[in-house]
Amino acid sequence: MTRIVVIGHGMVGSRFAEEVVETLADADVTVLGKEPQAAYNRVLLSSVVSGVANPESLTIAGPDHPRVATLTGVSAVKVDRAARTVIDSAGAVHDYDFLVFATGSVARIPAIQGVADSDGFVSGVAVLKDMADAQDIVKHALSARRAVVLGAGVLGLEVATGLAKRGVAVRVVHHADRLMERQLGWEASAVATTSLTKLGIDVHTGVSLAGAQATRGKLSSVRLEDGSEVLTDMLVMCCGTIPETSLARQAGLEIDRGIVVGDDLATPRDPAIFAIGDCAQPPGGGTGLVAQGWEQSSRLAARLAGVDGVTASEPRSTDVVRVKASGLSMATMGVSGDFDRADPRLRVLSLKDPEGGRFIEVVVSGGLLVGATCIGDKAIAADLATLYTRKIPVPSDPAQLLIHALAGQASAAKDPAEMADDDIVCNCNSVSKGAICTAVAEGCDTVAGIAKATRATTGCGDCAALVAKLVTAPSTPTAAPAATERAVP
Amino acid sequence: MSSTSNATGPLALSTSGSVATHCPYCALQCAQTLTPAPGGPTPVSVDGRAFPTNRGGLCQKGWTSAEVLSVQDRITMPQIREGDGFREASWREALDTIEFRLRGIQAVSGKDAIAVFGGGGLTNEKAYALGKFARVVLQTPYIDYNGRFCMSSAAAASNRAFGVDRGLGFPLADLNGAGAVLIMGSNMSVTMPPFVQHLSGVRERGGLIVVDPRKSATAQLADGGKGMHLQISPGTDMVVLLAILHVLIHEGLVDESYLAEHTNGWDDVKTSVAAWWPERAEIECGVDADALRQAALVLAAASPHQGGPGAYILTGRGMEQMSQGTAAVTAAINLALALGLPGRVGSGFGPVTGQGNGQGGREHGQKADQLPGYRSISDPAVREYVAGVWGVPADHLPGPGIPAVQLLKKLGAPGGPRALLVHGSNVVVSAPNADDVRKALARLSFLVVCDMVPSETALLADVILPVTQWAEEDGTMTNLEGRVIRRRTAVAAPGEARSELWILNRLAARLGYPTGFSTDPQEVFAELALASKGGPADYSGISYERLDAGEEIFWPCPESDGEPHPGTPRMFLDGFNTPDGRARMVPVDHHGPADDVRPDAPVYLITGRVLQHYQSGAQTRRVDSLNAAQPSPYVEMHPLLAERLGLEPGAMVELESARGVIQARAVVSDTIRHDTVFMPFHWAGAGSANRLTNDVTDPTSGMPEYKVCAVAVRPATRIGATA
Repeated sequence: MTRIVVIGHGMVGSRFAEEVVETLADADVTVLGKEPQAAYNRVLLSSVVSGVANPESLTIAGPDHPRVATLTGVSAVKVDRAARTVIDSAGAVHDYDFLVFATGSVARIPAIQGVADSDGFVSGVAVLKDMADAQDIVKHALSARRAVVLGAGVLGLEVATGLAKRGVAVRVVHHADRLMERQLGWEASAVATTSLTKLGIDVHTGVSLAGAQATRGKLSSVRLEDGSEVLTDMLVMCCGTIPETSLARQAGLEIDRGIVVGDDLATPRDPAIFAIGDCAQPPGGGTGLVAQGWEQSSRLAARLAGVDGVTASEPRSTDVVRVKASGLSMATMGVSGDFDRADPRLRVLSLKDPEGGRFIEVVVSGGLLVGATCIGDKAIAADLATLYTRKIPVPSDPAQLLIHALAGQASAAKDPAEMADDDIVCNCNSVSKGAICTAVAEGCDTVAGIAKATRATTGCGDCAALVAKLVTAPSTPTAAPAATERAVP
Repeated sequence: MSSTSNATGPLALSTSGSVATHCPYCALQCAQTLTPAPGGPTPVSVDGRAFPTNRGGLCQKGWTSAEVLSVQDRITMPQIREGDGFREASWREALDTIEFRLRGIQAVSGKDAIAVFGGGGLTNEKAYALGKFARVVLQTPYIDYNGRFCMSSAAAASNRAFGVDRGLGFPLADLNGAGAVLIMGSNMSVTMPPFVQHLSGVRERGGLIVVDPRKSATAQLADGGKGMHLQISPGTDMVVLLAILHVLIHEGLVDESYLAEHTNGWDDVKTSVAAWWPERAEIECGVDADALRQAALVLAAASPHQGGPGAYILTGRGMEQMSQGTAAVTAAINLALALGLPGRVGSGFGPVTGQGNGQGGREHGQKADQLPGYRSISDPAVREYVAGVWGVPADHLPGPGIPAVQLLKKLGAPGGPRALLVHGSNVVVSAPNADDVRKALARLSFLVVCDMVPSETALLADVILPVTQWAEEDGTMTNLEGRVIRRRTAVAAPGEARSELWILNRLAARLGYPTGFSTDPQEVFAELALASKGGPADYSGISYERLDAGEEIFWPCPESDGEPHPGTPRMFLDGFNTPDGRARMVPVDHHGPADDVRPDAPVYLITGRVLQHYQSGAQTRRVDSLNAAQPSPYVEMHPLLAERLGLEPGAMVELESARGVIQARAVVSDTIRHDTVFMPFHWAGAGSANRLTNDVTDPTSGMPEYKVCAVAVRPATRIGATA
């Protein structure tokens, strides 16, 4: 038996537990989850805010497995590396052969005067990190007229558009000079700002909050650093996350931004301890995206089972950022944001259409798409993501990626006058326009007659209207009006 | 082409000597009237015949089907290998040879040393007799068939969910009233064109949703406001289904009361799709999240619990021929159940069967693990009953064999079968990783192929036996609807060609079973009906008399003491075929292609059909007008890919996968994704698509992953060098 303890029952911890009992037949897994409910889809919390996701349907944990013990409402309080044990908040001691940290991250809360008192946040002030937060925000949004969203990262914009969709007047306040500065460059940010404005969202960049004021225990306004006062019923702080590393730090593991791990996801100081998901800091850094955590989960489950390298293909890129903003399509991947556009190794092409709410930038290197930013065109965003994640070579002229070149053209309705004689009219029976015109010239004056003579229309029948046009075409003035009804023997 | 006046009922003969039968090719089994035409260019003339499925329509294959009766290289005498070629032989000599070799191999290597490979084009009677022959006479567990390449994933998923697998489960004409039809990986505009007539209603209502990496002819049916085409990245069909279910759950659009009343397992399925929110699905499948949402809303609006006119979900090989095929079909079934479609008149779920008798072929004992009536060969009660019908003790019957791909791999390998009998299949063209199949056949000590033409597989045989084809024989077929239909003789077979029923009768007699293998299809059907009694595919109430009287009968149709059972046009109206009458919902998840794109093979290859050819092309490649329209294999690619590779339309292109290399001409079309190439699989030789395809199989169904693999694409520099 291989005893595995997983600390954290979020999207990554629960996925890992499910996978490792499949890959490792003698795995006996204990999962400690501090939240009271089963693992749920945290990525959709912003969709709960916008009303797109139903909070009742977020549970993501799979069915019970006989070799997985999941303890909810129980947190880990101590790791004893020498004894290889974890002590939980209920006092129970769990032995492990392998310990996996999947503790995720916590919301970064800026020090702003007046947002909290001794009981916690003032009513109307929130972060969005767990289900209770989302439900609190929704509850306030039902009666709020105005909201301020602090932070215009991915989550901030999702919350802002979500609240706007609920009819709340939203103002976004962002400390940096452009929106989503990790992902967007200046021009992209400008287009995004215009699009948000069209959704009725006010955007203030390059400014922070100085304080918040409450009236009768409820938030009533905030003050910006420029001194302006903004009336608001809500303040949602989306100021990034901090990897949850406190227990790992206590256990003497190496901590930088997150729990430091190698390419093998093991902590350098203790090969029996691993970290995955938002709490981990792998060599390339964490992205804060669940796709990375899930990829790590699969990789670690395979590694513990000793089936490393079974997949011949290298893992797909997981750093596609797809903003779930109601009314605003936005995706970035790989090289994006503020990078050196003059780097000779990179070929950077863009399409700028601020009036149309569109900005598309692709970054090509070595014939592959290594980065992209796409605002305002969902189909292209989807195409770019498949190219990027699968490392598929781009067209010889990458400018083709900026327009709808990938999808097939809609089949234009055929105009018989423009068809050549050898163009096929009836695909089911390989009948050309010429063959039909010959039949017409020989006296066929109805669709039924053409069917009998050429078999055109006798398969799927879809060409009957076209055949009818050919029968009545000006070139055959003697033809009687043809019945458009499809004729079969 | 003769007159168009003979659209009479299904009776056998009209006054003109014409015969009412059905097309030899696909599972739509279009109704035909054959009129003997002595002295004509073909032995019979062909007309379409009014019928609920094809409504008189035929495609070019059907119209020209009579040409196959008299192709120049039709095999009319048994052939025995002599050096690199064959010499004609009498039936006595051919059967002597087969008897001698089979007895010898059995004596040295045991009964497991003989294997049988059947086909989904065989009549019910032949399929039944073949399965019986393998179990009773040869006593080998090693029988499987090319239906494994066709319907096995759909069958496995349907059996698991519903307790039975009957293709569509409803009459095709029911589609006409639907408000939405979701088509997953099927291109019926090309594969069975008259089917498309039944989509006209849903197209008028704007509810046709086609999921396909190509803007196929079927996908184009959704143009002009008639629906949507979701042009997915190859191998991600299942993601679309999971995301649509996710959306329905969050929008509160699932049929909760149906789920509570008619299913088990919903909670686990619901949880399992929580991870497939549309924006994540978009990154995986390449279809934008809003389009996925829109598809979900269209389906929901058409569904009965929302007061819609009805919705259908249809699956095809594009989705099923994957190493996750069973899971993908399960995802489709889960979605259909969540919308409350199966078992409701005017709604439903169904896989679109491909081969002519792909349905019947999988019910009567050609499958490695099954006995007639679609029952498990491992079930003691079933063994007891069927053995009783066959007049042998139950322990006479072998246990389950292995699925087709595994069987082919095992041929001639140490401990594997040394002899193979092939009936109605051209495996060296149609099986995946075809170069390896060719090598496996070469390892055999003895290969017998029953065929009407010298197919590529027949040409590898030690003995070829000439057999009858559709217009030369009587029998029954079971079409894609589960409707049992009659095939009827219009002309005599040429030369010494014989029905497989006759061949099995003679071989059985020589190998010690002088009785039990009738040569009369009607007698065989009566025995089949009895053997199927009590099984899911119960034919015991069906007879030639009833069919010839014009009755429309869909199985199950059990024998009845009183009024004859009317058959079952629509399945599950009174519950599912599970012990508790509820459908079983099973959570499933997506994984990418087993052979995914990589730096040295950065393009997806997908495979499929063209209208003019059928299966391995053994029949259709011998028809001049079909060859004129589609003369040779090709590689379809997007203009952007052609440009990147420096390829002009029509240029020869070389494709290399981890398994093989092929060359074919380039066809440039903007109807395909630029990360994907498409090849039709109907040809042998240098352009044979299945030399590239992946023979990794689905763990549940044994279905190989024909539909997606990674290839390198380059201009061909050495013409024909890889043939």
